[in-house]
Amino acid sequence: MLPRLFLPPDFRDLLPSNPLGMPLPACLSRRSIRSIRTAFALILSLSLSAAQAQPADAALYASGEKLFKGNCASCHKVDSKMTGPALRGAKVKWEGKGDLYAWVKNSQAYLKTGNELAVKIWDEYKPTIMTPVALTNEEIDAIFYYVDNWAPPVADTPKPPTGEPTDQGSNNWLWLLVLALLFLIVGLSLSGVKRSLANAVSEAEGKGTLPETSRMQRFRAWAWEHKVFMSFVGLFITVWVILKLWDAAWVIGVYGGDEVPHYKPEQPILFNHTLHAGKANKGNLAINCQYCHSSAEKSKHAGIPSVNVCMNCHKAVSTGRTEAGTKEIKKIHQHAGWDPEKGAFTGQEEPVRWVKVHNLPDHAYFSHATHVSVGKLECQECHGPIDEQMDVAEQWAPLTMKWCITCHNEREVKMAGNGYYDEVMARLNGDTILGHGELKKYLEDGKITVKELGGWECAKCHY
Amino acid sequence: MSSTKRIWMDAADLRQDTEAIKARESEFPQELAIDQVLGDANFNGAHTGRRDFLKFLGFSLGAATLAACETPVIKSIPYVTKPEEITPGVANWYASTFYDGQDFASILVKTREGRPIHIKGNPQFGINRNPALPKGVVNARINSSVLSLYDNERLKVPYSREGRSTWADADKAITDGLNAAIAADKRIVVLTNTVISPSTNAAIAALKARYSTVEHVQHDTISYSGVTGANLKSFGKRVFPSYDFTKADAVVSLDADFLSSWGSTTEYTWQYASRRNPDGAMNKHFQVEARMSITGANADARIPVKPSEIPFAVIALHDAIAKKSGGVSVGGGMDSAELNQAADALWNARGRSLVVCGSNDEGVQVLVNSINSMLGNYGSTIDLDNHTYFFQGDDAVAAQLVKDMNAGAIGAVLMAGVNPAYSLSNAAGFKSGLSKVGLSVSFSRYADETASLCNWICPDNHYLESWGDFMPKVGQYALAQPVIGKLFDTRSWQESVLKWSGSEAKWNDFIKQTWQANLAAHSAGASFDSVWNQSLHDGVLASHTMPATPVAFAGDLGTAAAAAKQAANGASEWELSLYATEAIGDGQHANNPWLQEMPDPLTKITWDNYVCMAGSDLMRLADGVMRDPEDALKVGEQSPALQVKVTAGTSEIVLPAIFSPGQKPGTIAIALGYGRGANGEKVGKAACTTDHNGVFGSVGRNAYPFTSLRNGSVSYDAVNVSLTATGETYPVAITQTHLTHMDRHSIVRETSVGVYKAGDRNAYNKPHTLPVHEDVNEDGVIDSRDRKPVAAFDLWAEHPVEGVGHRWGLSIDLNSCIGCGACITACNSENNISVVGKDEVRRSREMHWLRLDRYYSSDTKWHEGREAGESKISLYTRMEEPSERPTVFFMPVMCQHCNHAPCETVCPVAATTHSNEGLNQMVYNRCIGTRYCANNCPYKVRRFNWFNYVSDKFGEVNPAWDDLGRMVLNPDVTVRARGVIEKCSMCVQNIQAGKLAAKKAGTPVKDGSIETACSAACGTGAIIFGDLNDKQSMVRGKAEGDRSYHMLEEIGVKPNVNYLVKVRNTEAETA
Repeated sequence: MLPRLFLPPDFRDLLPSNPLGMPLPACLSRRSIRSIRTAFALILSLSLSAAQAQPADAALYASGEKLFKGNCASCHKVDSKMTGPALRGAKVKWEGKGDLYAWVKNSQAYLKTGNELAVKIWDEYKPTIMTPVALTNEEIDAIFYYVDNWAPPVADTPKPPTGEPTDQGSNNWLWLLVLALLFLIVGLSLSGVKRSLANAVSEAEGKGTLPETSRMQRFRAWAWEHKVFMSFVGLFITVWVILKLWDAAWVIGVYGGDEVPHYKPEQPILFNHTLHAGKANKGNLAINCQYCHSSAEKSKHAGIPSVNVCMNCHKAVSTGRTEAGTKEIKKIHQHAGWDPEKGAFTGQEEPVRWVKVHNLPDHAYFSHATHVSVGKLECQECHGPIDEQMDVAEQWAPLTMKWCITCHNEREVKMAGNGYYDEVMARLNGDTILGHGELKKYLEDGKITVKELGGWECAKCHY
Repeated sequence: MSSTKRIWMDAADLRQDTEAIKARESEFPQELAIDQVLGDANFNGAHTGRRDFLKFLGFSLGAATLAACETPVIKSIPYVTKPEEITPGVANWYASTFYDGQDFASILVKTREGRPIHIKGNPQFGINRNPALPKGVVNARINSSVLSLYDNERLKVPYSREGRSTWADADKAITDGLNAAIAADKRIVVLTNTVISPSTNAAIAALKARYSTVEHVQHDTISYSGVTGANLKSFGKRVFPSYDFTKADAVVSLDADFLSSWGSTTEYTWQYASRRNPDGAMNKHFQVEARMSITGANADARIPVKPSEIPFAVIALHDAIAKKSGGVSVGGGMDSAELNQAADALWNARGRSLVVCGSNDEGVQVLVNSINSMLGNYGSTIDLDNHTYFFQGDDAVAAQLVKDMNAGAIGAVLMAGVNPAYSLSNAAGFKSGLSKVGLSVSFSRYADETASLCNWICPDNHYLESWGDFMPKVGQYALAQPVIGKLFDTRSWQESVLKWSGSEAKWNDFIKQTWQANLAAHSAGASFDSVWNQSLHDGVLASHTMPATPVAFAGDLGTAAAAAKQAANGASEWELSLYATEAIGDGQHANNPWLQEMPDPLTKITWDNYVCMAGSDLMRLADGVMRDPEDALKVGEQSPALQVKVTAGTSEIVLPAIFSPGQKPGTIAIALGYGRGANGEKVGKAACTTDHNGVFGSVGRNAYPFTSLRNGSVSYDAVNVSLTATGETYPVAITQTHLTHMDRHSIVRETSVGVYKAGDRNAYNKPHTLPVHEDVNEDGVIDSRDRKPVAAFDLWAEHPVEGVGHRWGLSIDLNSCIGCGACITACNSENNISVVGKDEVRRSREMHWLRLDRYYSSDTKWHEGREAGESKISLYTRMEEPSERPTVFFMPVMCQHCNHAPCETVCPVAATTHSNEGLNQMVYNRCIGTRYCANNCPYKVRRFNWFNYVSDKFGEVNPAWDDLGRMVLNPDVTVRARGVIEKCSMCVQNIQAGKLAAKKAGTPVKDGSIETACSAACGTGAIIFGDLNDKQSMVRGKAEGDRSYHMLEEIGVKPNVNYLVKVRNTEAETA
């Protein structure tokens, strides 16, 4: 039996448009994406971008789409078989042959009625049982309306990949270099010309040729003449170097954020986050992050899914949208010991040796559960647009203490509806009408931030 | 050893050139021609110029910087198929059972990612559960046992005399050996400690069914044969009864250390502590003993007597009670007014009293039974119908076995849970007998003293890797389940027995079958599977209790008294009593570094056993040996201990002598369980260490040879002992050198129950006040009577603590604290506290976050002395001297989490700060190691990491050094590096986890849902943790009670830890 995918309504809609006050596309544009990946992204965007044909009843279609994605999409495709049969045309197929609604709602119960068509379908897809779904007849109608009116995505005009500006950046450097070389050549030639002229002048004045001196000697002599200027230049260079070193020291050991290239290690399987978790309206699968990273809400670790979680879907899905994708899926099958030909496990298992992307120092305790379950943060607020613009995972945030406590300083504690915070507030309110002095202090800016409840205290993270 | 293929590394190896091979062993050869190199004239001339030096420096710096910039590649490898119950980062708790022949406890085991890392008592089920809290009692030995799982010296495969072997070979050879024994018509003996497992008994029965001459002999390392034998003679049942201290209004214990080492201590401790609440009906406890024991330290009245006098004290008590009850007197008892008081107390509480005796003499125990019988205690405080199954060993049978072995009558012996070559008084006889046995098999986890002499060692699993079932009492069952897969190629010894009996059953299936067969009678209605699953979940099944039946004493008092009086035969100047310490017990856990480093609750000595002596005796012995005999009393870093030679019979050992206040003059006491692996046996890490002379050897000396067989049971006293000073001294590692609290009531406060009940707080717990320059008492004059309590003063701006979220605090009840020290080892386990070894403890560098201070009372009182006109200096000196018959205080001290913490103000880098939850936080990554904080801490609870303890230097003692030992570390707590201060964090990791659970559930933190390691380990309820801002919390209630005070209140640091005044039931009986 396959677990049911939990696909809520597009959760990205719940996300504040600009959670950290950082210009997302801006910081992404600075990322350098290697040409191979650019090509890969291009192919993806070509194959995935889709334009929808407009159906007659847009509202019904939309609600059907939502229901389909929430309830059916993990096991059914519209046009082709997956874990379960393709859904297009099912309504016509069932007309007069049985109760489609009952079949959808609880297939195992309906099977007991001995309906011929049901038995036929069961024989084809057993032993995978379809879990009963709590849908009304209207909702089922909406789903089939959506399914029957769905049009496969049409390739969109390719957009320039986001990596482009950085390439321009490196071209600029090249131009600057050429320019600098030109200047150098011109400068050297000019100094030659100047020297010849000086010689000529000197000869003309009858003083004979100037003494043969090396360029360095002449430079020294010139520098000595322009002592003040040179010391300013020297000072400027020293200060500039120190400042640069200072800046560089700040990002030692920092592998994310705006100032350094993001850490994006080579992974044994090039898992594509965008494809799996990206928005459905862009042709992606929109799987909830916590379907795979299920321990994020209960543990300090978000958890890398075990291979059996991949196999929930990839038992059925053995081909990718691209050839490269198929190759990666094959790797999963190898690790899980799954023989897609025979449709059986061989027992030859091998765990995937992923490279950890987000590394915190040992003395810092970070709990995903606190941030996800209590703080109700979206994954993207710290992990960046992993569902939109990252194929293989990379470290988006700098993960420095500054970054942590900046957020703790600004972020309001999500107290509403939480009995724990009701108690905290009751204590802060105390017995007086005016409330506790501390509470007034906290509320000066109109909100109670994480910092004010102790989010800046050392032993919240270091113990 | 059939392999003929030879592999060599080089020519020297092939030729077996010993010189060359030896030279290769040292990585840096000694004969390196340094002189030659340095003597070279060219070399002398060579020098590194300033510029070159700077170039090198710059290059190295640059290279190091570049190297540091490399992103570390860390692999993260998830399961292929994740077990449903495991979530990485979230702890799982499993109910299981600990039983090792001396302790029994239902426990909960904490596992992280499949590794057991912490043990606490089962708060819901089991006989060791204190229902009032609820918490399960465990002692230090039990909660430290998780570490022994990761001991790298455990045997990893079966061994034969030839070396490593396989299970197939072992099974074949042993089956052949057993058949040979049968063919020769010789007996096969299964020698075990007391088996309380129904399934193990069934497995042995299965072996007997296959081999007709199988005989099961049980032998307890520390014997209770005299107690069970006396019960056989008195009541016809050879059992160890169940005692119920909760019902006992008066307790008289004669040399029975029932809070630490005698009987079922995990039960007695909570039962006893529940009757020490001064707000309830407090019991009255008399202790009659020679050595100051933990139980004696808790007693209301302690009567010191010599070991040879114990039988006469019993007789005196017996006759006093007999006089009152009209029973038969025995005659010849001690004449003691104090014993008569005890008798009065018992008689006044007859039917609700209890007399226990630690003597292993049958005669003495028959008299004790008679006393309890006359008092009508059977059926109330003593239950023979629902007796325990502990301590079934019979010393006479064990002694006979040694004789039979020597006579060649035994064909095979299989040994589990025993170490007779170490612990028998007749160990030499046992060893010679063992060599005459055709097949000897040990199931020991180590190649210990006995196992190393056997033909085969078939290593048993660690109990955390094993299934097991237990029947501690009639109708009480318990289960043990494995919490980790087997680390090594070991096998449950019961499974081995089953295998040799021809059964292929797995041990866990066998247990289930046995339960199914046995439970049918007691679980009517419910399906077996549901009962089994529930029992496994709970760890316990309380199936039934037997109804009380009338108990009639049928012992022969005359014979018993005659036998008892023999104890005094041959008494000489010195008498010796042997005892088991709280940490090491009978010695099977001597390889556990946490236990070795846990200071003895009374002497505060670690990593050694020693001779406990009275001060006057010790000074007499030291006279002429030490420059100042008084130095012998002041053992510590500066003064080593006097070494003495103890001789009794044919045995003698040399040990340091320690001043133990309260020890009866003329008697000495030595702890059993030390001196493991004295002949180079590998008995586990930390049982042997390198001493101050650089000699690798066992920790302490073995005192078991001083035991002897008397009246058919092993006696743990020796009355004819000689004692001489060797003239040498010996350094001991002691954690507390001052003995008394010097009459400072701001540290410990004490009162009697009468004063307490009178209700005037100022009489026993007067708040500290300071004079102020304002008219507080409004009498119109500003004088010294105008005082304010210390709490009214603030040197700095106050931390906002009241009403701001939580304020975590501990309340420590000096009345409930019996001094067992389970909190110390629990803290070790929870907080990854380094073990530093004897040498560092000697330098006061132990790392324990929680210490258990022990203070003896002094006869000198400050005010009395001053009034008598004594000089201050002589008063101070005399106040340091403990009383001959001292009262004892135990006081757990951890970081007090002061709201005006002196440590916080002096840290130059703000590495220690205050949280708004009242915690004094220590941030290791900020700390630069100035140690100003430790200097400024009035409680001296801060510890400095002098070394990188997780290093080679400490590999011998610190379990975290090797890869296996490291598995016990709690991943939620940082392992501290060299150069930083550390201290009690009030288990902030548990606080954070508890708060998170509450936030996720959307409910306020429930009182009791968060526990520190120490409070969870404290089954007597002495340490209570909670939120002081929660007005309903238990800790708040205690903090606001009349008994509450702060240690060193006068310095105004406002701690979040409070103590409750100790109340002793010392008023004379009035009824």
